[in-house]
Amino acid sequence: MNLKQLKVLLADDDLDDCIFFKEALTELQLSTHLTAVHDGEQLMQLLANETFKLPHVLFLDINMPRKNGFECLAEIKLSEKLQQLPVIMFSTSFEQEVVNLLYKNGAQYFIRKPSEISQFKKIIHHTLALIAPENISQPARENFVITV
Amino acid sequence: MARTKKMEESDLEVVRKELAVQLAANEKLVAELLLARKELVFQKEEKGKRAAELGIANIELAFQDEEKGKRAAELGIANIELAFQDEEKGKRAAELGIANIELAFQDKEKGKRAAELGIANKELAFQDGEKEKRAAELGIANKELIFQNDEKEKRAAELGVANKELIFQNAEKEKRAAELIIANEELAFQNDEKEKRAAELGIANKELVFQNDEKEKRAAELIIANEELVFQNNEKEKRAAELIIANKELAFENEDKEKRVTEKEKRAAELIIANKELAFQNEEKEKRAAELGIANNELAFQNEEKEKRAAELIIANKELAFQNEEKEKRAAELIIANKELAFQNDEKEKRAAELIIANKELAFQNEEKEKRAAELIIANKELLAFTYISSHDLQEPLRKIQTFVTVILENENKNLSENGKYNFQRMQLAAGRMQQLIEDLLAFSRINTTEHEFEKTDLGTIIEEIKIELKETIQEKQATVEATELCPANIIAFQFRQLLYNLISNALKFSQPDIPSHIIIKSGIYKGSQLNNPKLSPEKNYCHITVTDNGIGFEPHFSERIFGVFQKLHSKEVYAGTGIGLAIVKKMVENHNGIITAASELSKGATFDIYIPSN
Repeated sequence: MNLKQLKVLLADDDLDDCIFFKEALTELQLSTHLTAVHDGEQLMQLLANETFKLPHVLFLDINMPRKNGFECLAEIKLSEKLQQLPVIMFSTSFEQEVVNLLYKNGAQYFIRKPSEISQFKKIIHHTLALIAPENISQPARENFVITV
Repeated sequence: MARTKKMEESDLEVVRKELAVQLAANEKLVAELLLARKELVFQKEEKGKRAAELGIANIELAFQDEEKGKRAAELGIANIELAFQDEEKGKRAAELGIANIELAFQDKEKGKRAAELGIANKELAFQDGEKEKRAAELGIANKELIFQNDEKEKRAAELGVANKELIFQNAEKEKRAAELIIANEELAFQNDEKEKRAAELGIANKELVFQNDEKEKRAAELIIANEELVFQNNEKEKRAAELIIANKELAFENEDKEKRVTEKEKRAAELIIANKELAFQNEEKEKRAAELGIANNELAFQNEEKEKRAAELIIANKELAFQNEEKEKRAAELIIANKELAFQNDEKEKRAAELIIANKELAFQNEEKEKRAAELIIANKELLAFTYISSHDLQEPLRKIQTFVTVILENENKNLSENGKYNFQRMQLAAGRMQQLIEDLLAFSRINTTEHEFEKTDLGTIIEEIKIELKETIQEKQATVEATELCPANIIAFQFRQLLYNLISNALKFSQPDIPSHIIIKSGIYKGSQLNNPKLSPEKNYCHITVTDNGIGFEPHFSERIFGVFQKLHSKEVYAGTGIGLAIVKKMVENHNGIITAASELSKGATFDIYIPSN
């Protein structure tokens, strides 16, 4: 993907994680543009907005006020306009059943938020490298969870 | 290491040189001593001994010197080692600094994980509650099924009896049908006989008609003969009259011929007698003819009657033939019905057998469910134990994090960059949030474990207590809490206090920033039919409690979601909170067998309606 700028959309209600995420992007060689929303309703409203240019990737937190990540993912995958958008699920906890369900519902990758800042940054860099090729398809189940 | 060895060797060289110098000095001393000894040998033997002792002492000293040299070398090595260790400690200290930051982040993650465990705990407790309810329901359903099974067995037994009865009835019907067939045959035979008889009667009738005709003819002939006789008689009377006249004439003419006349008179008298005889005979014949007319009429009437009777018999015969046919049909139908009943009986027996199997299956399932319920009770106890552990063990490391953060912020304030201070403050906030989560989760899981004692309670007293507790917030928000129209309610006072506290503190928290908060609490007893909620029984009485505010409200589609555990409508940065408060409220209302609903529109305040059954 020879892009001048990588557009990243982040939906996360945790302010600290948003800051860590932003820091991770600034350390990247690539030029990026980050848009952050803090609940599921905001996210879906933004995505529905005609004037909003769709990002290259969405990082979606599961536990958010008003509308959670599951609901957002389902809506995105049901929308003709949005279903091609790669959705990286982003959560503090890791539960096999939850991960299976997310895979089934069409999420691109699952990341468990690391507690170490360096790992946090590394995993985001790694993920952005993974989604860099154009028209990527959902990976095999064993590659769904990204670890570094 | 190589460098260290080199250093060791050069140090050793220095020591060795020093030792060589010392040894040279010692040798000089020994030589001097030898000279002195030679002088002293002659002077004092004691001195010689002394010299020998000195020699020994000297050797000792030399040895000690050597040892000192070795020790000095060792100290040099130790010194180098210490310098190296110092360097390592410096590095380690740096690493510890990094590790400490790392730990701080890990702590934060652990905090989140603990929160998630809290959710899972609550969820498990909730599921347990549901499972217990379900188990109880299944127990009831099972009893119901057993009862139904009993009923079905009874019914099957009844059906068996009924079936036997039907078989008996069928046999009776078959007998009856056989009898009917015989009766029918009899009737057919009688019909035949009657038909024959009717035919005979027809013939007899014709015979009679013929006889009648003959008699009528005969009567007509007799009438004619009679008329003839009457005519003859008349003629004879005329002739007799003429004869009488002629006789009288003759009597006048032939007086002589008196004898002859007498003869003739005799003859005339005889003729009169004969005439009278004929008249009598005529009369008799007329009587007979009249009698024959009557008999004839009688026969005609009888004939008519017999014809009618014959026609009736034909109709009756047809009727009997039809009835016979019907009876045959009915018998055929009865045979089919009988087979049908026999089949149904078989089916019912099969069904009864199936029911017995199903019953056994249910009994087995019931047993399994009881086992499961027992397992659940054990699991629940384990969960309670887990809750207890959460309350103590989870809070302990959390308190440590909070303590150390304050220690660092107080003692190392000068050494921290602004960013460092900010990060520590965030850490403090996260830890505070976790503490609140643990406390709320504990409150939530405790709802079902505390005592459920219902008592008539004055809601006004509870609200006054809450107002005192929330005094500062009420002042800060310039809030008025209006609770005038209240009724006493039959409630679990401890739980209801928490419930109303949560609702009132929520109303204060979500007040509009520039409008003084106004909270109205009302309650009253109403019939279900008077209240606008389809889930209520219209006949039952309810205590209806409303908590209304003029706060920021919420969109109507969130009216159910807000009661879910951890469900929040606002970011924690805007409105702090764990999302458990209303879940606790709902669970407590359900503990009162009540219903809670919420109604609101964005920026138009919110109303919470609680309905508790009231006796």
